[in-house]
Amino acid sequence: MPATPALTIEHVSKSYNGSKALDDISLTIPAGAFFGFLGPNGAGKSTTIHLISGIARLTEGTIRVFGTDVVADYREARTKVGLAPQEFNVDIFEQVDRLLDFVAGDYGVRKKERQERVESLLERFELTKHRHKEFRALSGGLKRRVMLARALVHQPQLLILDEPTAGVDVELRHELWRYLRELNETGTTILLTSHYLEEVELLCDTIAIINQGKIVEVGDKAQFTSGGRKLEERYLEITGARATQT
Amino acid sequence: MNYIGLYTFTRREVTRFLRVSVQTLLSPWISAVLFIFIFGEIVGSQIGMIGGMPYIEFVLPGVLMMNVLTSAFSHASSSLYFQRFARHIEEILVAPLSHIEMILGYITGALMRGLVIGVGILLIGVFFGVTTMHSPFLFALYIVLVSAVFALLGLLVGLWANGFEQLASLSTFVITPLSFFGGMFNTLDMLPPLLATATQYNPFFYFIDGMRFSMTGYHEAPIWVGLLIISVLFAALLVLVTTLFARGWRLRV
Repeated sequence: MPATPALTIEHVSKSYNGSKALDDISLTIPAGAFFGFLGPNGAGKSTTIHLISGIARLTEGTIRVFGTDVVADYREARTKVGLAPQEFNVDIFEQVDRLLDFVAGDYGVRKKERQERVESLLERFELTKHRHKEFRALSGGLKRRVMLARALVHQPQLLILDEPTAGVDVELRHELWRYLRELNETGTTILLTSHYLEEVELLCDTIAIINQGKIVEVGDKAQFTSGGRKLEERYLEITGARATQT
Repeated sequence: MNYIGLYTFTRREVTRFLRVSVQTLLSPWISAVLFIFIFGEIVGSQIGMIGGMPYIEFVLPGVLMMNVLTSAFSHASSSLYFQRFARHIEEILVAPLSHIEMILGYITGALMRGLVIGVGILLIGVFFGVTTMHSPFLFALYIVLVSAVFALLGLLVGLWANGFEQLASLSTFVITPLSFFGGMFNTLDMLPPLLATATQYNPFFYFIDGMRFSMTGYHEAPIWVGLLIISVLFAALLVLVTTLFARGWRLRV
């Protein structure tokens, strides 16, 4: 019997003020995949992520996370998803350890376990000495680490990373890549969006490209890089951006 | 029910108002001291007895109620609005919390702030020599119910507001005037007939009158009318706010 996919999106459409952001998209991400989700700005990546995580209302189509419907069984579905968005959508006046503790509590994690997880994540992301600092007092790189720790504090099976290395220095980027690989190898499915195509090429095994609200290509990484091409070349070809290149 | 989630939500809300305690606690307490001192002590000494009690005893319940309801309203409206404004509402939206749990979390946070404010003002009253407490049960009931009503009203404004001016508008144009015209400083028979009649249609009159009864035993309207008004307002606002949260109005895009 085949394993339940980590994410199943079926015939999902979404409009904002009459303008279609997603147009009947369907997508399946197998469990354990490191999945790259690419597309130009405004293509529908964030809308898709918002629908999976519950930030946006799903009105057309179905989305299941490890077989759990994100609308009908939203509680269970949300415990399976961790989201590290591109923007720092946190209470910037809150101190780091309490911020993680609150989020774990929102997910129903008991106090003792919560404390253990927070300690472990603070240590893993080298945030221990910054634990009592307010989020706003951290550097950009430290903020990124907190966002990732926050997404992981309830131990999700599907981790969604929206531009996780945007504005991050080279050292931290490499460190995050190493950590994400480890996480994926230990069974966490990862959905990654990034404008750094070399990052996607390096980390992901499967890739989908979305353009103007439609999934225009899905496949193994090898399919995108066959014939010695770079992922970037294929991406520009698919999204039609090549013609505008100078 | 996600009890740990709900408890965490409340903890987060309490932490938020304690973090800015000068603004959220000290400021209303200082304002209460000024009201009680100026109106209760100085003006009150010229007025003498009112409703069979010293003026300071008459004024204290009104000052207390105004601060409790203002605090509950401000807490809920500013908390939700700032979360929307800074987008960290998304942290809540992705969590396994139902709409009801979210609303209960905001109400409980606002109620905690209302309770701390109310008990603080009660102690200030004791400092000024006001020691009357006719019914501790009714006193607690009024604080809980009125805080809940104004927390719901605050959530409504927190959802609706698209700027800081809108956020402050209800407080400026509705809550403060209706509190002042709701019998904070005077009995109905001290008002001109037209204003006395209008006051009987002002729900704030019943909130203050009920609080005054719980503390002093004096009231001008039937207590059950006040409790009925509060219950109807609570039920109507709960239905409205729950419907808006369920639809994701200005919460989920």
